[in-house]
Amino acid sequence: MNFITSCCRITEKNCLINGRIVAHKIEDSPESWFKQLYKHLALEYPKFYKMDMLSQAGFLASEYLKKEYPEFINSYADDEIALLFANQESSADTDIRFKDSYRDHKSPSPSLFVYTLPNIVLGELAIRNKLYGENMFAVLPKFAPDFFLQYGNILLSTGSKALMAGWLGVLDGKVEVSVFLVERDKDNRMPFSEENMIKCFSDQA
Amino acid sequence: MDSLKEDLKKQIIEQLNLEDLQVSDIDDNSLLFSAEGVGLDSIDALELIVLMEKFYGIQVTNPDEGKDAFLTINTMADYIEKKRNQ
Amino acid sequence: MAVKITGLGIISAIGNTVAENLWSLENSRSGIAPVNYLDSKRALLVGEVKYSNRDLADHLGIKSPPISRTSLLGLAAAREAWGSNRHTKELRSGIISATSVGGMDTTEQFYSHFLDQNNPDYSVLKCHDSGSTTERIAAELGISGYINTLSTACSSGANAIMLGARLIEQGKLDRVLVGGTDALANFTIDGFRSLMIYDENWCRPFDESRTGLNLGEGAAFLLLENDKSIRFSGNVPICCLSGWANAADAYHQTASSPEGTGATMAIQNAIEVSGLSALDISYVNAHGTGTKNNDLSESTAMINVFGDNLPDFSSTKPFTGHTLAAAGAIEAVFSVLAIQHGLIFPNLNYKNPISETGLVPITELQTQQPVLAVLSNSFGFGGNNSSLVFSVHR
Repeated sequence: MNFITSCCRITEKNCLINGRIVAHKIEDSPESWFKQLYKHLALEYPKFYKMDMLSQAGFLASEYLKKEYPEFINSYADDEIALLFANQESSADTDIRFKDSYRDHKSPSPSLFVYTLPNIVLGELAIRNKLYGENMFAVLPKFAPDFFLQYGNILLSTGSKALMAGWLGVLDGKVEVSVFLVERDKDNRMPFSEENMIKCFSDQA
Repeated sequence: MDSLKEDLKKQIIEQLNLEDLQVSDIDDNSLLFSAEGVGLDSIDALELIVLMEKFYGIQVTNPDEGKDAFLTINTMADYIEKKRNQ
Repeated sequence: MAVKITGLGIISAIGNTVAENLWSLENSRSGIAPVNYLDSKRALLVGEVKYSNRDLADHLGIKSPPISRTSLLGLAAAREAWGSNRHTKELRSGIISATSVGGMDTTEQFYSHFLDQNNPDYSVLKCHDSGSTTERIAAELGISGYINTLSTACSSGANAIMLGARLIEQGKLDRVLVGGTDALANFTIDGFRSLMIYDENWCRPFDESRTGLNLGEGAAFLLLENDKSIRFSGNVPICCLSGWANAADAYHQTASSPEGTGATMAIQNAIEVSGLSALDISYVNAHGTGTKNNDLSESTAMINVFGDNLPDFSSTKPFTGHTLAAAGAIEAVFSVLAIQHGLIFPNLNYKNPISETGLVPITELQTQQPVLAVLSNSFGFGGNNSSLVFSVHR
């Protein structure tokens, strides 16, 4: 049996862990919302600044989950945690910036081009946590718990022992992020089901 | 030459999204691409090439030429001065 | 447990059908040439499909424009793979496609019209997103069951094939069209040039003097069926998909690790899933893009897995260009053709081995070979590495 053992939700204004607000956007700060969250986590990871919005969203959610549940990564071998993510807009947020960069500056920016693929966030998570397991990104018309359930269960029965999975809806200021950890046989938590994923996704506290 | 180095540091910080860094954090002799120095990577090298063109009109067509020129702020400033005087 | 392949479809720089692609491969006829169909500022070498959008839409009988080139290419290949199969409620069917460009080939033109306020056609925006390119293909074919779109850069096509195989194996679907499609776009060409990995000359995978890739476009699909579906359709299996694996390289956003870590794991795990041993692999269709980084990393991975018993290998990208999300699928079709026809395809443009590894690919077409199992590699940006193993159907 598979279980959701932790979930993180980030909206335009709030960051929640397991339904509990852990950070709230400071409106009159000169710093962006994601930068506030990075500072709140008190991390030393300057590569964060080079990431695009989509990668920052995935990174921040995963770091909040690790903070809440510090033993997670180390409980598994480096190829046993699979990454499974999806969204509707793919890398559109960065695609727009890339297009602007070579329209305005007459030359395309290589560091922006790097992020014009939605799966680079998987690379960032793998690099940060030294994960060598399976990794997948899908582009779907809307948040689809059935996709995560089906694909997640296939992963957990073909070699992966845990998942870091979720929806990274990021475009032009919109932030609809819901990332959760799924593990086998941890039966004091929420069963991995469509209903429970919807619950994580809808967390507003 | 000093204002050139200061400008370079500002441009690098902005172009490469190095938000955590101040101009005062980058030593003229720090190895830009070393983890003990400024810790830039291969994509940053490409952005430096774009920066050369954008701010100084210098086209670095051979990435290997860039490797020597981009060792430190000092070598970058020397490279720019040399190209300007050509 | 092998999954049966009963249909193939492909459109690429070297042909608009499976037969045309096979002919080009057998006759060393590359499709790489200066840009012709795409409205581009530069005359770079690319692997274009030899069809304008208008002619392709006419050929496919598209009744409701607008439609992106990515969808057109995908539809051409999917239709060939689907062939004369019939729809039925008795079978759970699906389509899994992969793309990186989506409809951007069309929207990037819209964008410049929009900026100039030159009669921009807003209806074009409906074709933009990746998911809609697949849905359009599904709608044109009349497939309404499971529809999915994956986007993991250059490994996307292989990942779509892998997901389809797993859904069949797990009893979730009876038959599924799997593959990928990507059209050329200025966005992508400019991006690869900014990374300084685009070769101004014809690419030379695995050669010491290689300096980058040539981009290509195209699409390919395979039809996978379980036994129940085969009983219904009466289709004869062409080949089997017996192994698949995906692993993360965890090294850099766009470069592969020098040790080839992710690639090594993908290759090893795919061979393990197939139940074969490394010695059983007759031919490796490599990812072989022609970049300094990939070809060295992939060579290292192959040495890690095969040691002194390296099978014949080649990259077919000098024929088609690097077709991004379609690559894994296009090269899957080539792998099946290798098995079907006992062929090993040449690695064009090779002269000298990479000094660090000394590996030598096959440079002349080999015919009448006992090709029993083929390994196909697709390694994508983000460190997303996938490998597939195809084997002869008995």
